Formats: sequence, C-alpha cells, structure tokens
Amino acid sequence: MSLAVQFLTKIRGFALEADGASLKDWLQVENDVPDIYYNLAQEIRSSYPGNGSDALEKFVDRCLPEEDDVQEGKGSPWPGFNSFVKDYLEYWRDVNFDDVVNVYTRLSELLISCANALANPTYGVMLLQTSMALSESLSKLVMSLTRQPEVLALIEGDETGDGESKSIVEMAADIIQKFFTSCLGDRSSTRWAPPKGKKVAVYLFANLTLKLLFACEKSHLAVQMFTNLSTTGPALALYPASQRVTFLYYLGRFNFDNAHYFRAHMCLEEAYRQCHSSFLKHRRQILTYWIPSNILCGRFPSMNLLYRPEAAGFAEIFLPICSAVRSGNFVAFHAALNRHRDWLWERGLYLVFLYRLKPLLWRSLTRKTFLLRASMDAGGGMGEGGNKAASLSFTDVVTTATYVQKLLEGYIPNPAQVGGVAGFGKGVGGGSTLVPPPSGPKYLMPSEGLIFGNRKPDVDSVESVVAGLVYGGLLQGFIARQQGKFAVEGAKKYGGNAVRAGWPGVFEALGQRFRESWEEGLEAADRGEGEVVGEFGECPGWVRDSS
Amino acid sequence: MATSKAPSADPKSSSDLPAEQTQQQKQQTLEEDDEFEDFPVDDWQADDTEATQNQQPQHLWEESWDDDDTTDDFSNQLKEELKKVEASKNKR
Repeated sequence: MSLAVQFLTKIRGFALEADGASLKDWLQVENDVPDIYYNLAQEIRSSYPGNGSDALEKFVDRCLPEEDDVQEGKGSPWPGFNSFVKDYLEYWRDVNFDDVVNVYTRLSELLISCANALANPTYGVMLLQTSMALSESLSKLVMSLTRQPEVLALIEGDETGDGESKSIVEMAADIIQKFFTSCLGDRSSTRWAPPKGKKVAVYLFANLTLKLLFACEKSHLAVQMFTNLSTTGPALALYPASQRVTFLYYLGRFNFDNAHYFRAHMCLEEAYRQCHSSFLKHRRQILTYWIPSNILCGRFPSMNLLYRPEAAGFAEIFLPICSAVRSGNFVAFHAALNRHRDWLWERGLYLVFLYRLKPLLWRSLTRKTFLLRASMDAGGGMGEGGNKAASLSFTDVVTTATYVQKLLEGYIPNPAQVGGVAGFGKGVGGGSTLVPPPSGPKYLMPSEGLIFGNRKPDVDSVESVVAGLVYGGLLQGFIARQQGKFAVEGAKKYGGNAVRAGWPGVFEALGQRFRESWEEGLEAADRGEGEVVGEFGECPGWVRDSS
Repeated sequence: MATSKAPSADPKSSSDLPAEQTQQQKQQTLEEDDEFEDFPVDDWQADDTEATQNQQPQHLWEESWDDDDTTDDFSNQLKEELKKVEASKNKR
C-alpha cells in the first residue's frame, strides 16, 4: 500500500471518529517533521506531478468517501474536507522550505482551503484544532518575516484590484479573520454560556488577527471585528486568562491609537489586573501603554507603580514628562521627549505626547501665571479675598508665553540684566530678561513652538488657547474679551480659592468631558442619529457579562 | 471578571524562583521588544493576579499633581520676566 493511501486511510479514520486532535497531529505543515512526510511529498510528486489534471482530487475522493449514515458524535468526510486534504497533499508536493516566499504562498493557500472546510456547520468543527495550528504556523512565519525587511520586500507589492498594495501581514490577518468569523457564527452555545464547538476559538483567532494587524500598523482594520464581537460575541470572562489578557491588551492599544484614552485605560487596567504576576514581560508591555493612557487622562504614575520590577527604567522616561506638564515648562517638556525620542517613537507615543499633552502644559502655564500675578499683587494672595473678581490677564500670559517661546528659540539671559544691572540692557532685550542668541533665533518646526513654529504668542493667540481650554473643561470660567481677561467662575464654592475653581483637577475635568461626550452620543442615538450607545464606561468590542 | 475553569498549568510565582533566575527574568524584562508574546500557559487562577493579590486598592496614580510652588527656578524666571516687561511698559 502506498504511503499516500496509508496516510488517507488514517485521516479517514480520524474523520469518522470526529477526532480533531489526531487530525491536527497528523496534518503537520512545518519543516521539523519526521521523514515520512518528506517521503509522502516525494511520492505525490511522482504520482501526481502537476496541477493540470484532477487525478489527485479523484484519488482523494476515492480514499475519503462520504458516509451516508453517521451516528451521533461520529463524523464523515465532506466535499470541503476532501478539497482541503487534496490541497494539503499539494502543499507537501510543492513546498520548498528553502524559499520563504514559496512557503508563505503555499501555506496561505492551504489556510484558505482549511477555512472553507471549517465553515461546514455539521462536521467543520473537527478541523478546529488543525485550523488553530495552521493559523499559528502562518502567524509565526509572517511575524518572523516582519523582522526580515529584505525578505519582506521580495514578497510585498502585490497589487489588489483597487490599486492599493496589501502587505503580506495584512493578507495573513485577512485569512485568519475568516476563521474568526466562522467561529463567531457557530451556534453551539449562546453568548453567555460556556463556549462550545467552534466558539471556543473566537478569542484565539481574534488575538492572532490583532497581533498581525498591529504588526503591520493597520490596527484600524480591526474595527469590524470589534463591532461583530459587540453585536454577537461571547462574554470574554468565559475564556482562559491568557486569551482574556491578550485580547484586552490589544483592545486597549486599539483605543489608544484612536485617542480613546479612558477606554484604553479601562482595557489595559483589566489586562494588567488579570495578568499572572510572574509574567513581567507581558506586564511591562501592558504598562507601556497603560501609563501613557493615564498621563493623557491627567493622572501620573505613582512611585509605587514605577518601583515595580516590570516598570524598570520607566521612571526615567515618564517622570520628566510629567514634571514638565506639572509646571507648564515647554522647554523641559521638549527636552524630556527628545531624551527618549527613539523609544517613544517606536511605540507610537512620541507624537501623541507632543500634540495631546500641549493643552495640559498650557493649562499649567496659565495656572502658574495666575499664581505668580497673585503673589506679586499686594494682598492678592492666591486669588483669595478682596472684592476684585479673580481673573487672568491675557497680557500676563503673553509675557510668560513669550518668555518660554524665546527659550525654545535659544534666547539667552540678557547679560546687561544679570547681576542686578537692570536697565542697562534696555533697547537690547526690549524689557525682557532674554536676548537673542548670537546666531539668531533657532528655527522651530510647527510642533516645536508654543503656537506654531516661530510665531510669537500675542493676545489673540492666547485668547484662542484659553478658549480651547475652557471648551475642553480644563478651565472653569469665561472670557471677558473687552478686558482681555479670563474670569474665574465658582470660586465661592471652593471657599474663595480661585485657583481650585478656575483650574479643576485634570483627571476630574477630562473624566467629566468623557461622560458628557457619552451623554451627547446617547442623545444623538435617541434622535436616531449616530450609532447605538451602550452603558457609560462600556468599551466597544469588550463583551462583559450579560448582567 | 469571573475566572475560567480548569487551569492547564500553574506557573510558579516569582517568589518561588531562585534569586539567580529572578535576576535573569528581570534582565529579560529590560529587553525591548514590541511584540506581545504568546503566554507559556493557557490559563491561571485569579489568586495569582493583581486582581486578588492586592485586595486593598494600591496607590498607582497621582491625580492631584498641581504645582503651587512659585519659588522654583522656572517660576522665578517667569516672575522676573513679568516684572521687567511691566516696568518697561510703565516707563513708556
């Protein structure tokens, strides 16, 4: 009896027993297999050398006839299964492990065939373990390719119909997403009951897809998957811890990439809480995005957190950034970002911090300006007491902002005004304590300046910044345009403490804004506009308990 | 969140590891890799996680971080600038 007949006889036996584990064990695709697989490949090459005829297909059909009378708990080959087995034999016939492009192409084709077979509602489930193993092999291969850009370049550039080039990572993600969809549609169990049938692999395939989408920086393509999970997906709590933590990590990163920092925080917090304490590397990966999510929500990491072993080295990166935000010191902020630019850039944090933390720095700078003016004005201490309404003069903010802008442009202390010889340098610094550097002011990129590059802060631009802060809830009060001031509201509520009233805590203020935006969504949904909005604090894609 | 049933393996807690191994693990955490690797085990008990180990809420985040200090270097520079610019305007 030929090897191929022996092999298919075994496969038929497993199919009749619906023995998914044995099918997986036998349907190997990687190169570290016993010689018998290579002997089988040689035999197929001799007996069925080309794709031109249907001889191999007929051979498989002869060896794997469909059963008419199948008992409960047993199985049978079906057309999709036979087609997959034929493709499997062709895979071994044609694969060349010395040519990674060849392996990728053959394995991708085999996976598509496997996904079609898995879709069979009656017997497909017996290929679930095989599907997982093949998907993991493809994922492993593709991830290893992402670390070899020169090989990747050989394969890339496959033009799709619409002229857009899809990366191989993206194509692999597409294929694995087919398995996810097939598993999600399985009706063996409800959303809230322990998963059965193909449902057991929903999050496993979701995680494999997410891993690839993040590797090719196409996380936005996961939207449909999260939407499908929200609509029909099973509760995450019903799955093993490794799958829960991995899924929440990626969902957190997805929300981070989409500027939903509160949602990112919720997902990453839960991922961190459920991660086994000994998996420091995973906990570190979670912290890498959980800490920035919190900073962007207005909460800084405590020393308690930064002293943990998985946070080693993070204090050095994040604390200077937090310190600069706290004091409104743009110079220190850019220095802190640039000190770890590569690390932040590689993780997609640099630009997010650069742009998204600016309002927090402006808040601190306006707050500091207010405090300084109050301390300079006799009897004005901290904006408390007195009959005068607490307000922040835009002219004062222009002065402090201009000073900071000059520091960014490389201005240096006015030598004539250093050491108490005030007034001597009049006409050089224009009343400022700074003078331009000998080589002239430094050219700033748009993002490096306070307003826009080298544009000087003036009353209009400051007013515009303050209006933005008021709109975002970071300042409480109103703009008195004619007086060129920001007037603090509600100081009485805080015992006359105008600073507390005018500059509410950032986390509290942004949290309030998060709630307001949810309420706006709810109202829009009630009017029949926009998407359906869930409970407050719900995160699309994260299926919690039914309660 | 409910825990899943039937853990397939129970990884050793870090406290059980010999010092050398813990050190090695610490070194590994410092290696930078963007990939969120597959976990070596499928499931574990909630007892071995942050969720239950620290019943008391840990102080992980600073919410009140506002800086009221007006005597630090940066504040002093700004204050000096406010005074100078104001004095310069008054002289005009």
